[in-house]
Amino acid sequence: MITAQGLTKKFGSVLAIDNTSFDIASGEFVFLIGRSGSGKTTLIRLLLRDLAIDSGTLIIDETDVTKIPNSKLALYRRNIGVVFQDFKLLTDRNVQENVALPLQLRNIKTVDTDSAVKAALETVGLSDKRELFPAQLSGGETQRVAIARAIVAQPKLILADEPTGNLDPATAKSILKLLRQIHEELKTTVIMATHNAGLVDHSSLRVITLESGKLVKDTQKGKYE
Amino acid sequence: MNNNPITTALARMRRSPYQAMAAISIMAVTLFLACAFFVVSAGGQEILKYFESRPQLNAFFKSDLVPTPLQIETLKSKLLGTGLVISVKYISKEDAFNIYRDLNKSDPLLLEAVTSGMLPASLEISATNPRDLKNISEMLKTESGIEDVRFEEDVVSSLTHWTNSIRLIGLVAVGIHIVITFLVILLIIGLKLASRKEEIGLMRLVGATFGYIAAPFVWEGIFYGIFGALVAWGTVYLIILYSMGFLLSLLSGIPILPPPILFMFEVLGGTMGLGVVIGAIGGWLAVLRFLKQ
Repeated sequence: MITAQGLTKKFGSVLAIDNTSFDIASGEFVFLIGRSGSGKTTLIRLLLRDLAIDSGTLIIDETDVTKIPNSKLALYRRNIGVVFQDFKLLTDRNVQENVALPLQLRNIKTVDTDSAVKAALETVGLSDKRELFPAQLSGGETQRVAIARAIVAQPKLILADEPTGNLDPATAKSILKLLRQIHEELKTTVIMATHNAGLVDHSSLRVITLESGKLVKDTQKGKYE
Repeated sequence: MNNNPITTALARMRRSPYQAMAAISIMAVTLFLACAFFVVSAGGQEILKYFESRPQLNAFFKSDLVPTPLQIETLKSKLLGTGLVISVKYISKEDAFNIYRDLNKSDPLLLEAVTSGMLPASLEISATNPRDLKNISEMLKTESGIEDVRFEEDVVSSLTHWTNSIRLIGLVAVGIHIVITFLVILLIIGLKLASRKEEIGLMRLVGATFGYIAAPFVWEGIFYGIFGALVAWGTVYLIILYSMGFLLSLLSGIPILPPPILFMFEVLGGTMGLGVVIGAIGGWLAVLRFLKQ
């Protein structure tokens, strides 16, 4: 699914990602951990091609991400679901409209969009909140909407950048449970950057540890160290 | 769910009415200038055509001479043979007197002062190009029986000069205003883009194309152009209608007023087209500039 070889990204003289290589198989759930500034978010942004890769290769689903022209980036990103720490919902659109956004970009028929949105909201347990606006939701509910938006187009890959960072422990646990449920039911590959040691330690999933942009540890059933 | 860029653009205009009014106002000022310039320019062209189509040169025979048909035909053939002349019309002494009577029918004193034999016979000549009037005049002056030659070279050349000057000044003024309007549209749509920075950033991350992001902003620019054109055209038309009496007396005898409805709708189409182009390019450039930052 994902093969990174010698991946490098610099911001001026600062090496944000330093010659990093890893493989992630299709259908895996991987935690990306490390201190603040270790390069987790940069790596997520490289995978999304929100940042240009300075050197190295990155192959995702047989596509060489480094060679995608700017004009094709939108199409590439449509195959990836993204969840952010700060949710990034559109405040002037209700839950249903926020979740429908990735489908609207694809010009999918309204009927199909409605049924896909309904299914996504059922998955995240927010069927009864479809008419509400983001300001009327709790933090956990808002993140659930963001997850529904990430899965509505049934992507093969979900990138979650600190999705529990703004949530209390109990809600964070429920969000991870939801992501794992989606991973198991839809066989989606999930890469989740997190600071939450408790979530990582109780999950017994693969953990990639970054430090100063370098991959320092890659363990199956890893712990937060 | 609203996924239509046109309704999105209209909704955004409704949400920030003062910005929309500012954009439409500046667009209306520019398009008013363009519209007025076009109408004045077209009117000037019609006046020029009117003067060009009139007999531009009169060659008067000696007042005691009544030219024979052979003399007239010989002179006509000679003139037409030069290729510089479109038409030649003979005006006999009687025709000249009848024209004089028609022109002065309201003035009995002038009518009494002139009798039928007093006015000379003449030739009314229209030239292919007003610039050739002088050459034709010189040629006619050498003909026996011709006493005097008069032509309106000055009227046509000064009209041409004025029309060209109006065109140049108008083009420069409209050009400057188009640049200013572009900048204002860029600024206003740029403000709207900045206020939607988060939304646009998210759209890019979830796979929105440039076209999807730009479409509502381009439509917004197009609507500024359409509404601005309607205001500008309506103002120009009202000014023409309001000053019709004055213009008719100023242009007495020159049949260009009132302007034909079809012409005015063509002007509306042209003005709207210009507004749409300015607005669409302004909106498109604003998005392009914003996304490149």
